[in-house]
Amino acid sequence: MHTTAPRVLRRLDRRTPRRTLCRRGSRGGMVRAVGSDDSLLVARLAAGDDRALAEVLDELGPAVHASARQIVGDTATAQDVVQDVFLDLWCHPERYDETLAGLRTYLTLCARHRALDVVRSELRRAGREARHTRELPQPRQPSPGEEVAAADTASAVRAAVRALPPDQRQVVELAYFGGLSYRDVALRVGIAEGTAKSRVRLALAKLGAVLDHELLEPS
Amino acid sequence: MTILPVPELRDRVLTAARRARPPGRALPRVPEISAVEAFRRAVGAFVDLMTDLSPADWRTPVLRDLDVQALVGHLTGVEGDLQLALAGDAAVAKADHVASTQPAAARQAGRSPELTSVEWLAAVDATLAAVRDADPDVVVLLHGMRLPLRCLLVVRAFELWTHENDVRQATGRPASVPQPAVLRLMTCLAVRLLPHGVSGVGGAGPLDLHLVLTGTGGGTWDVALGDRSTATVAPEVAIVADAVLFCRLVANRIDPEDLGAHLSGATEHAGVVLAGAAALALD
Repeated sequence: MHTTAPRVLRRLDRRTPRRTLCRRGSRGGMVRAVGSDDSLLVARLAAGDDRALAEVLDELGPAVHASARQIVGDTATAQDVVQDVFLDLWCHPERYDETLAGLRTYLTLCARHRALDVVRSELRRAGREARHTRELPQPRQPSPGEEVAAADTASAVRAAVRALPPDQRQVVELAYFGGLSYRDVALRVGIAEGTAKSRVRLALAKLGAVLDHELLEPS
Repeated sequence: MTILPVPELRDRVLTAARRARPPGRALPRVPEISAVEAFRRAVGAFVDLMTDLSPADWRTPVLRDLDVQALVGHLTGVEGDLQLALAGDAAVAKADHVASTQPAAARQAGRSPELTSVEWLAAVDATLAAVRDADPDVVVLLHGMRLPLRCLLVVRAFELWTHENDVRQATGRPASVPQPAVLRLMTCLAVRLLPHGVSGVGGAGPLDLHLVLTGTGGGTWDVALGDRSTATVAPEVAIVADAVLFCRLVANRIDPEDLGAHLSGATEHAGVVLAGAAALALD
């Protein structure tokens, strides 16, 4: 039986100091040789080792989150950015070029870019909504009969909404009575946008059983 | 180390990642090829090397007491034994891989390299003809191995690549790397056979192996090693290594300490795993 000399088998440990050294290139310029830890981690990611992803997330997740939060301004949206950044690293590890930057720098830059995209998208959405509001025709004054009917309907809706579970009632009130977008609802409640949408969908399904569904269509 | 601001975020990200790309699926994806195609490509690489050899290269000692020409004779002998095995010949089932092919190696003495090449290529053609309509799942018994034909053809590709690099090293040529699609089949086969290799070197205790082979053609595997009949909990060792180097280890062409493996977990068990990998070699 072979016996293995453990002296040359390297322990896998992210805490070992990263070897980062500079050597002088043949033309006199400085050539940076990136430390082995980052390239090893990315090689493991490419090999489908999800433990490597967990290690990167544990070590660099807080920095990525902080970088995103500086730009988007709130924790919940920053979490969405963190998810996008690490999902991209997992699905496209080849996009990381170890000759250009360390993994920490690369991921925090990705977070900044993604966060800026989110902010730009939000600004565009707000602009569209403002234009849409300005361009809407002014509503005519309702007749006394229409006002009575509307009051009855509103009362029925409020009763049905009150009967919803608290988490669903909260998102419906914010979306339909507060006029918030799904993203704003998610930010306000501190949940993911997808979660906000699914809660609203569940609530609508329940309300639809007792109310005219058209009543609930958001404008 | 700081922690993520919301503990649930870690699970959320990992769950989404595993849904987007299941663990173990290596990138970049390599095209899937059949075992016959892997064998054919390994033959092609060996032919390319042969056409580049000088008369002096053919006489260069390369392995055991074989020069390059005798090594090609050995390969001719292996093809002959494979064809016998496909025909159900019981004698080659237990035959020794080296001893059984020694006559074919010895008869190359005094021949021209061209004749040796032609004989080997004819043997390869006969193998390809024999497997063309064969069931790839049929179990073949050859040189102590009992494997489905599709696995045996990958073993043959593995051997051709190994001997190609024996010749390259002996004649001062740079080492070659299998094509990614071939390498993927080789790594998958090596991992599949690894439990046998480990038990063969005395690794009887239960052990969980998390094996990550990096580079194109690599992948990630969780392998249960040792006797699992009584143990409920097994120690786990994680080994990360380059896919090509791991194949060289499986071919017994490098020592475990030259693998440059990265270890974690129950690292005291890594030695028997790597020794088991090297024990898979036919030589």
